[in-house]
Amino acid sequence: MIQCTCIVQAGQISEASQAALSGKIDVFAQKAFGSRAEINWISVPQGGGFTASKPSTSSIVSLRAPAPVDQAERAPLLHELCGFWTAETGQSLNEVVGVISDPVAS
Amino acid sequence: MPLYSCNAAPGAISDEAKPKIAADITRIHCDVTGAPPIFVHAFFFEDAPHQPLDGKKTFLFGSIRAGRNDAQKAQIVDEMRRSIHTHAGIPLDEIVVVTQDTPAKWVLEGGEIMPEPGEETEWLAKHHPEAAA
Repeated sequence: MIQCTCIVQAGQISEASQAALSGKIDVFAQKAFGSRAEINWISVPQGGGFTASKPSTSSIVSLRAPAPVDQAERAPLLHELCGFWTAETGQSLNEVVGVISDPVAS
Repeated sequence: MPLYSCNAAPGAISDEAKPKIAADITRIHCDVTGAPPIFVHAFFFEDAPHQPLDGKKTFLFGSIRAGRNDAQKAQIVDEMRRSIHTHAGIPLDEIVVVTQDTPAKWVLEGGEIMPEPGEETEWLAKHHPEAAA
């Protein structure tokens, strides 16, 4: 399974959008890494999120790849990930942080 | 990025203290690293299972861009611990602050791969001209 963490501000993304994103992330993970996604949704409580010291509208979507990823592959994957996120949520690209990390060295 | 995630025991950090600590986190990070504030995210949680407290009152975890030196990281840890202590009244020995390096090339923000530390000016001019001015 591909570990995925999505951190969103409370009330910012509807349940329907969250369900749609879960499906899209799962498809994305299978296409990019050959495994389904195990998604952990984390909601930042109201009044608990700040970006540049101001109330935050930012979301973070982070996936851990099962093997090291070449940067030539990672960059388009990140664009695809943030692209379908913004299309679904209506957020701007300035409000989305996408991360595709390599596995932790053992 | 950076993302500072602060988990605390229920009620340990008041709603009034959170914006003050967030402002300090932003100021400290930018003062120490030279990064622009627009990059700094500070999120507060209570008793969050994704970030166990391990018996402490507060655990601040900072995922920061790789490239900062040990002295910078130590200063970030020390000053952020003191900020939480000052604004929330939590004893210093009940506050844990940890940073973890994340390569900038792993992160897309503002529709582009994050700049390496020290290479933010061009990125800012493109995405946040008001902040670059």
